[in-house]
Amino acid sequence: MAYPYVSDREVRIISTGFGDPEQRRIDTYVDRGGYGALKKALGLEPGEVVDIVKESGLRGRGGAGFPTGVKWSFMPKEKNKPHYLICNADESEPGTFKDRELIRWDPHQLIEGCLIGAHAMGAEHVYIYCRGEFFEATQVLAKAVEDAYAKGYAGEDILGSGKTIDVTVHAGAGAYICGEETGLMNSLEGRRGQPRVKPPFPAQVGVFGMPSTINNVETLCAVPHIVTNGPDWYKEHGTEKAPGTKLFCVSGHVNKPGNYELPLGFPLAELIDDVCGGVRDGNALKAVIPGGSSVPILNAEEARACALDYDGCVEVGTMLGCASVIVMDETTDMVKQARRMVDFYAHESCGQCTPCREGSAWTAKMMRRIEEGRGTEEDLDTLMSATQEMVGTTICVLSDSVAAPVQSSIRKFRDEYLALIRRGERVGAA
Amino acid sequence: MSDVPFKNPGWAGNTGEFELSEDEVRGRDFVGERPKHAGHASGAPTMPYMLPEKNPEATLFEGEYQERFEKILSRYPTKRAALLPTLNLAQELRGYVSPESMDRVAELLDLAPAYVRGVATFYTMYNKRPVGRYLVQVCTNISCNLCGADDVLSAFLSDTDTELGETSEDGNFTVIEAECLAGCGFPTCVQINSEYFENVTPDEVPKILEHLKSRGTS
Repeated sequence: MAYPYVSDREVRIISTGFGDPEQRRIDTYVDRGGYGALKKALGLEPGEVVDIVKESGLRGRGGAGFPTGVKWSFMPKEKNKPHYLICNADESEPGTFKDRELIRWDPHQLIEGCLIGAHAMGAEHVYIYCRGEFFEATQVLAKAVEDAYAKGYAGEDILGSGKTIDVTVHAGAGAYICGEETGLMNSLEGRRGQPRVKPPFPAQVGVFGMPSTINNVETLCAVPHIVTNGPDWYKEHGTEKAPGTKLFCVSGHVNKPGNYELPLGFPLAELIDDVCGGVRDGNALKAVIPGGSSVPILNAEEARACALDYDGCVEVGTMLGCASVIVMDETTDMVKQARRMVDFYAHESCGQCTPCREGSAWTAKMMRRIEEGRGTEEDLDTLMSATQEMVGTTICVLSDSVAAPVQSSIRKFRDEYLALIRRGERVGAA
Repeated sequence: MSDVPFKNPGWAGNTGEFELSEDEVRGRDFVGERPKHAGHASGAPTMPYMLPEKNPEATLFEGEYQERFEKILSRYPTKRAALLPTLNLAQELRGYVSPESMDRVAELLDLAPAYVRGVATFYTMYNKRPVGRYLVQVCTNISCNLCGADDVLSAFLSDTDTELGETSEDGNFTVIEAECLAGCGFPTCVQINSEYFENVTPDEVPKILEHLKSRGTS
């Protein structure tokens, strides 16, 4: 069965199960070599597992791109209190749809990754924080956890190693901010999902006040493959600074949207033209957001020059984020889309820090005013300066995410704003 | 097994490619047999569901729901951590989280009522007022928006004859806008109760509504 669309450019490591309902069954998963990495990891010292992951150069796939092995090594070695591993499955960045697919198609791969991570960090409990909206994915995952318990891959004395690791699937209740790691910990504790001030960092004082590490679904899914095949094998893919493969979630105006697993450093132009079959209806490319709505928008020219890895995106003035490529063609009303993104952040601001709570709401109001044709040219300057005050002035980076679409769209598509303000002309308006 | 006549070519198991019985997916089979150890929990907790049949007068909790509540409690080191799952459970049963429900949950978890209200109102998935039999959430965030989500939303509103956020007169449909549902590659993404409908276009909306009505109406 072909998953919505596949491409022969793909290097499929973690997405091999996509489109195959059999992969969800524990027997099939084990027949295909599943839980072999767990067996291997349990035979190693925790420190050795951390070293393997460190050596592989795997970087966090949730957005920040922090080296996973290094993050794991922050956990205290001595065991005088409980340690927790939390899997962040609160996928809600607009444009991202990889974690839900990873969970619903291949839940055991994630569970195996969690168990290996827990072993490496001496955690005896893994919480998988699933987004509340993911009813189906959560049920599939919960069923898989139960199967893993029944077959002895989770719970007490895993595979006769004497290790006990519990896995709990936790459902959230609909808040974007709970994807921020400290917000997620607060939410898991039964509080409002407001991010915490760091330090202390989660590895010292995390969930329930205990040492904790939070990893993204995709990060943990890569771990079993790294343990099985070794770090050198993983480094064959991707670039020197960003080894491995990454799921690129392509959405918007392309002929074949979907998830594509490609080596990091893949050229954005080829992703759109080759892998995704080009822009829809043969239209011209106008803009691309390469990493979810929180990163600056690229115009067509910048997009053509962009290589999709952490550094390549920074070179053209944006970020890889979670590699959620949103493609916009020439018919796109940039003012409207920027306004829609700001509306989202205004809705999702947790209200804790003033620059974000007030800034996002007022920015949204101004953007709407401009969109409705009641804006002035001074509004653009006000928006630029107001959003600048929102960067780096708050506990978490949600506030910065408001500035990204506003500033980049005003800077790169100023003509469109001016046409709307001066003459009431809108792109795409019939 | 799929009884949904909509295009979802080859991927979305959302309507039944994965053959789990309702009992299995509802999580009733997920009771961990192992004893609790060191205050820690085991297994997967019982997962919430958004049910068409709602009972605003239901007791919090009794019978099966009391069992599920106890299972939830066993899985966290603190009672407070069970708050979100417990509110989920209350909403599954009653259809929305009323102030009375919040107070009752506070009592069950030894929390202050004001604290529970503060938490419950923070999260968008808790309906603060009653909703229709089918809660239709149309994603209008950027990826879906680029592909015409606004038209899908208008189609749902006009075909159900409701205002945004209101419940239709027959009590069947509440239509709301949703923020990104993580189905961006399959726009427009619509969540109806617990189910995802992907690749929805405006002309499919009447078909979807008919299909829902065929499952039962209020």
